[in-house]
Amino acid sequence: MGSVFFLERIPVNPPYPKIYARLGFKKKTTELTSRQKEETDISVAEALSYIALRGVWRRESIVENDGSKTEMTGDLSFVSSQLAKYLRDCQETVLLGATAGNMIMDKIKEKTAQGNLSAAVVYDATASEMTDAALDWLIDYLAVQLRRENKKLLPRRFSAGYGDFELSNQKMICEKLQMDKIEVSITPSFILLPEKSVTAIAGICR
Amino acid sequence: MKRKIENLLKKKIIILDGATGTELQKKGLPAGVCPEIWCLENPAVIKEVHASYRKAGAQIVYSCTFGANSFKLAQYGSAEKTYQINRDLVCLARQSVGKKVLVAGDIGSTGQFVEPFGNLDFDEAVTVYKQQVQGLIDGGCDLIVIETMIDIQEARAALLAVKETADIFTIVSMTYEKDGRTLNGTDPVSALVTLQSLGADAVGCNCSTGPEKMLEFIAAMKPYATVPLVAKPNAGMPRLENGKTVFDMGAEEFASFAGKMAAAGANMLGGCCGTTPAHIRELAQSPALGKPLAPVRKAIGALSSSRGHLIFGEERPLVIVGERINPTGKKALQQELAEGKTAIIRRMAGEQEQQGASLLDVNVGQPGIDEVKTIKSIIGLLATISALPLVVDSSKIETIEAALRIYPGRLLINSISGEKEKIKRLLPLAAKYGAMFILLPLTDGEIPATAAGRQAVIKQIYAAATACGFSKDDFIVDCLVMAVASDAGAARETLKTLRWCTETFRSKTNLGLSNVSFGMPGRPWLNAAFLAMAQLSGLTMAIANPASTELINVKQAGDVLMAKEKSTANFIAHFSAPADSPAAPVLRADISPAEKVAIAIREGDRENIIALIEAALAASEQASSLVDNVMIPAIVRVGELYEKKIYFLPQLMAAAEAMKKALAFLEPRLAQSAQANKGKILIATVRGDIHDIGKNIVALLLRNYGFTVIDMGKDVAAPAILEAIKREKPAVVALSALMTTTMVNMKEVIDAARAAGIETPVMLGGAVVTEAYASSIGGYYARDGVEAVKVALQLING
Repeated sequence: MGSVFFLERIPVNPPYPKIYARLGFKKKTTELTSRQKEETDISVAEALSYIALRGVWRRESIVENDGSKTEMTGDLSFVSSQLAKYLRDCQETVLLGATAGNMIMDKIKEKTAQGNLSAAVVYDATASEMTDAALDWLIDYLAVQLRRENKKLLPRRFSAGYGDFELSNQKMICEKLQMDKIEVSITPSFILLPEKSVTAIAGICR
Repeated sequence: MKRKIENLLKKKIIILDGATGTELQKKGLPAGVCPEIWCLENPAVIKEVHASYRKAGAQIVYSCTFGANSFKLAQYGSAEKTYQINRDLVCLARQSVGKKVLVAGDIGSTGQFVEPFGNLDFDEAVTVYKQQVQGLIDGGCDLIVIETMIDIQEARAALLAVKETADIFTIVSMTYEKDGRTLNGTDPVSALVTLQSLGADAVGCNCSTGPEKMLEFIAAMKPYATVPLVAKPNAGMPRLENGKTVFDMGAEEFASFAGKMAAAGANMLGGCCGTTPAHIRELAQSPALGKPLAPVRKAIGALSSSRGHLIFGEERPLVIVGERINPTGKKALQQELAEGKTAIIRRMAGEQEQQGASLLDVNVGQPGIDEVKTIKSIIGLLATISALPLVVDSSKIETIEAALRIYPGRLLINSISGEKEKIKRLLPLAAKYGAMFILLPLTDGEIPATAAGRQAVIKQIYAAATACGFSKDDFIVDCLVMAVASDAGAARETLKTLRWCTETFRSKTNLGLSNVSFGMPGRPWLNAAFLAMAQLSGLTMAIANPASTELINVKQAGDVLMAKEKSTANFIAHFSAPADSPAAPVLRADISPAEKVAIAIREGDRENIIALIEAALAASEQASSLVDNVMIPAIVRVGELYEKKIYFLPQLMAAAEAMKKALAFLEPRLAQSAQANKGKILIATVRGDIHDIGKNIVALLLRNYGFTVIDMGKDVAAPAILEAIKREKPAVVALSALMTTTMVNMKEVIDAARAAGIETPVMLGGAVVTEAYASSIGGYYARDGVEAVKVALQLING
């Protein structure tokens, strides 16, 4: 327990339908001319060229779960009844983090400053979906590894900021994952920088 | 022993053992312990498992060393015992099965990701595996099996560790998901091309899927395999039952796939998770096994990346190698490489792929740069962002060697000439890493001017290559393109060399196409004409700029006329507009200039909006009337379309940008317009929140509707907002927040304003803000930018 694993480049296929959906595209409703579609696709392709997905994870054993607080190895302790409920059948957890990197954020700022918000919004949506896809990839990868240990990764994941699992917990998660090594920092208000970065906890059961 | 296994494979399908992990669990292996150490502490149990597979008919059993690398053993405090653990577990396997059954030293994943995908240094990974390999070999294993790999780069590291330690028969087996790719995105044929060229003696797949799905992977690999294929499926697809992984397929059903596996081309068959000695017994006794299908070829012209491959063949369309990743004459790229940045290279890779390149040529040579460090970095980057196999282009042997070692695929070296140093050093390197190479027919200080001279050098390099184990499948002859501006007969000699290679020497060919037109006007046409002639002469590949329309169009046409595979479909697709989206409407002549402006705004036509406004003004439209009666209704219509989801966000933004551009152009003429100022709005993202794209969208839309917008930016503290309200006296304040933790700071602003006696209405928005929350803190909610305009109008006009 406790070793941090780093992934320098996460091989994610761009989730095009999700990117379009995030931008408000609705199948059979939204009408796009070929020029508008081409413009959007070019912006997605540009965004993809600026995204560098990196990931990190570490496994910890659950020491105690009293239904409102979960204590883990590595001096981790989270007060959240919803997290405790989610982890109630688990003996271990995995902390996960992923980022799309700084370059894409710089380009979003650059496009915004140039008054090209139509590109900026596409960059933004692409980065958001790619970061989510990176976390999905990590979950899939760990699930396969755990299967050989005869263990199971819970299908969904839990992130700080949802329900009663306060966003402030993100600071501890970020530190334990040594996210500074993938160039991710955290603001005093517990927001990850670069903006397109995420953390999560997933439960592991036997 | 290697020869013995190879001979055995020619005669019969070899039966491998089944699952070890699940068998050990049945016999008491507790959860959470190190299986390898537990087996050494309970030798009778693992010996019993091995013996049961021997009795069942397995001809090869895997030692229980799957996780016995120093990274995995470190988790149990036993990294320093790596060598002994491997050695002793092979010894136990040998004691159990005797000498008639072969023992494979089993190697699994370290659990780390190797560069370029992870942060484990490639050479460190090789070193870690060498420790394990040495233990396995000293324990007396007959062969090595590297299995259940999902990362092709880790498989390469393990294979190189074996090859750099001993000449021993080595199987490499990858694990593919239901979609036919490893989790890292590698497909079976790409893995096959990479691993067999790197020296694997057998390649295959194990785990993850049942035999039915694995049949597809074996069948996909067989036509391109130069080595025997291995299949070790699970006992069906894993299924979760009461939280436990269950494999349903019984022994009889499992063995019923034996005949199909043999027919698909599997040469070694066994079982993975969920299989038992009963499964292996049924398999070994299956009458359907029949005779093994030998590999269909001895060598193959093929390249691979971690996520794609390219097979060369006479019937295949002309291959275009994108030449743009080369700093020569490109100042911006030179600067980027010097600074260690990658944005231009990322873009070039994507664009060239989109434009039709099948391979990417990579050259990082420039003065003052550490070429080895740079090529490792760029090769690593491209390996992860592009599925196209790479061509490494350098005059420096060290650069090519660095690329060969790090690249997670089969690389093409550009190039190996007849120069003594290149022959002596590069050919063995290419052989070690299984690379293909471009054969450049020039010698030390001499470029043969004639086709006959080039033919002599080609034969000389081929002889040297043959001595290193290469065949004609492994290289592509560059026919040397020289400029017709300096030698009128240059192109003719090149084409002569090309025809000789195609018809007599029977090799693949390449041209560095654009050299032919150097120093001439009309270069695209000379290049395209030369390409057409070369295609007729049998050209395999051209290094060129795929952005050249002339070139790509001629290539597509040439492929059709030469009846290359799928060329007609490719040609039709190339010259057809996308059929699934409506084309932009053509502006009819009878549409008024003002209506054309409206259409341009609705369509987000930022390029033509100014010209259309000028035309409208020239047609006696007043600027104010154009804004009030044409443009505002157009942008309102865009908002309606967005609300109905007929438009999505990029269309809304494009229209808003067209509107903004139009308003800026008309501003000097708009002094009298009622639309000139609908009121002042102060907008900010509140303290602690760094998200601002939503706020920026709202600001743009408000401006387009005639509001004066003062944008304070993001992460703005309440006192600063308060001060600005006092100074600017806006009609409305608009606040944005994305997070639940920061939206509470909206209340801070409203409370402070009210306490200071400021009653300016405050509009609130952002992903987590709801109407209920907004009204609970005394604000007005707007769902998005379009609604923000409506709310602002209501707040100002009442």
